[in-house]
Amino acid sequence: MSDIKEYLRDYILQEFLPGESRENLTDDLPLRTSGILNSIKLLQLIGHLEEKYKIAFDAHEAGNVAYFDTIDGMANLVEQKIG
Amino acid sequence: MDFGLTPEQQEWQTAAIEFARTSLNDDMIARDHKGEFNRDFWVKCAEFGVQGLPVPEKYGGIGGNVTTAIAVMEGLGYGTKDAGLLFSINAHLWTNSVPILLYGTEEQKEKYLPGLCNGTLVGANGASEPESGSDVFAMKTRVVKKGDKYILNGTKMFVTNAQVSDLIVSYATLDEKMGVLGICGFIVEKDFPGVSISKKIDKMGLRTSPMAEIVFDNCEVPAKNLLGREGRGAEVFNCSMEWERSCILASCLGTMRRQIEKCTEYARMRKQFGKPIGKFQSVANKLVDMKLRLETARPLVYKIGWLKDQGKSAVMEAAMAKLYLSECFVKSSLDAIQVFGGYGYMTECELERDLRDAVGSQLYSGTSEIQRNIIASMMGL
Repeated sequence: MSDIKEYLRDYILQEFLPGESRENLTDDLPLRTSGILNSIKLLQLIGHLEEKYKIAFDAHEAGNVAYFDTIDGMANLVEQKIG
Repeated sequence: MDFGLTPEQQEWQTAAIEFARTSLNDDMIARDHKGEFNRDFWVKCAEFGVQGLPVPEKYGGIGGNVTTAIAVMEGLGYGTKDAGLLFSINAHLWTNSVPILLYGTEEQKEKYLPGLCNGTLVGANGASEPESGSDVFAMKTRVVKKGDKYILNGTKMFVTNAQVSDLIVSYATLDEKMGVLGICGFIVEKDFPGVSISKKIDKMGLRTSPMAEIVFDNCEVPAKNLLGREGRGAEVFNCSMEWERSCILASCLGTMRRQIEKCTEYARMRKQFGKPIGKFQSVANKLVDMKLRLETARPLVYKIGWLKDQGKSAVMEAAMAKLYLSECFVKSSLDAIQVFGGYGYMTECELERDLRDAVGSQLYSGTSEIQRNIIASMMGL
């Protein structure tokens, strides 16, 4: 679980928040509802996670803010998927 | 980095100029006045290969790369004054054919692409709504899955080609609360139950390109006509917008070149105060500015072709090209009228139509303001 979170943190910082402090990107920071990740970035992140972990999110998972808003939520869902 | 055209691309462009000049200019002033779409021109363009440019040969297309498509569109823009026709073709290509090519199932591609290439089918794109334009993913059109069908309800606004279209790539949300990840893309045939073309929309420019509202009233779409994955319609839409922004203004490069040639010739010939007006710096400087705009805008567009032909993304580059070229096009169209003075303001001179056509370029496919937002976002701001 912590590996997934760190991977997510690295990816988000590298792709979407260059120059941002790692400490500021906390596990519970809202990324989607706060607008930090816009539609293009959100779709890129979801596509990347599907490819990286060889999983598929259905519409109601990807569209659920409880899953796809924070690093915590995303890591939880990925872990469930890879079982 | 080489943005030069290959001999084959140069041949395509030269042929496109000749074709457009000889076949696509009849009755331009009258057709613009009446707002008349010319289906014969559409078919001629398909016969030339325009509608099949980015589509592989196995689906009835030419199988050209992006740079070839840009070169041909630039040539068409130079050869024809019918910017509305080219606008309709652009909408058809980048927001209908290309999404089907990139996201469609094999069955969808085999069913629709040959007709979209050979001119028998006209494609449209239904995304904007009365209350969601720039904020397109706030769309209200709802979709519910019932058995082997999706049921769509909502209204699509500013649909280019609506009245003449045979199939519409359109978008609806499963649930507004799902935001961007609730959006689904569909291929909707005009004869599906519940599709109606509503109000015809008249425009300032691009008047030979038809536009109307489309209403989905319990519109039944077979499940097999879902385009892309359920909930990933935004990906389809964003991709189509990237393509459209990349290529839709290539024809305007040709128009700007035509404007410069027309104005230069006039500035050499027209005499005032005993000498050609081009000898006055105030006139010559306008022509220099027009030339500079064209020469700085062109590489932005061809860089996109260069990137996309290597399979690279060009989201920011497409936004930059769209933003810069559209603003250059408007400024140069105003300068062209100014060079001609009172004559330029007259319909017969055929420059005022360029200006009316140009204004739309700062609005469609995302306004200049939205392009700046995209660029800022891609810069990490």
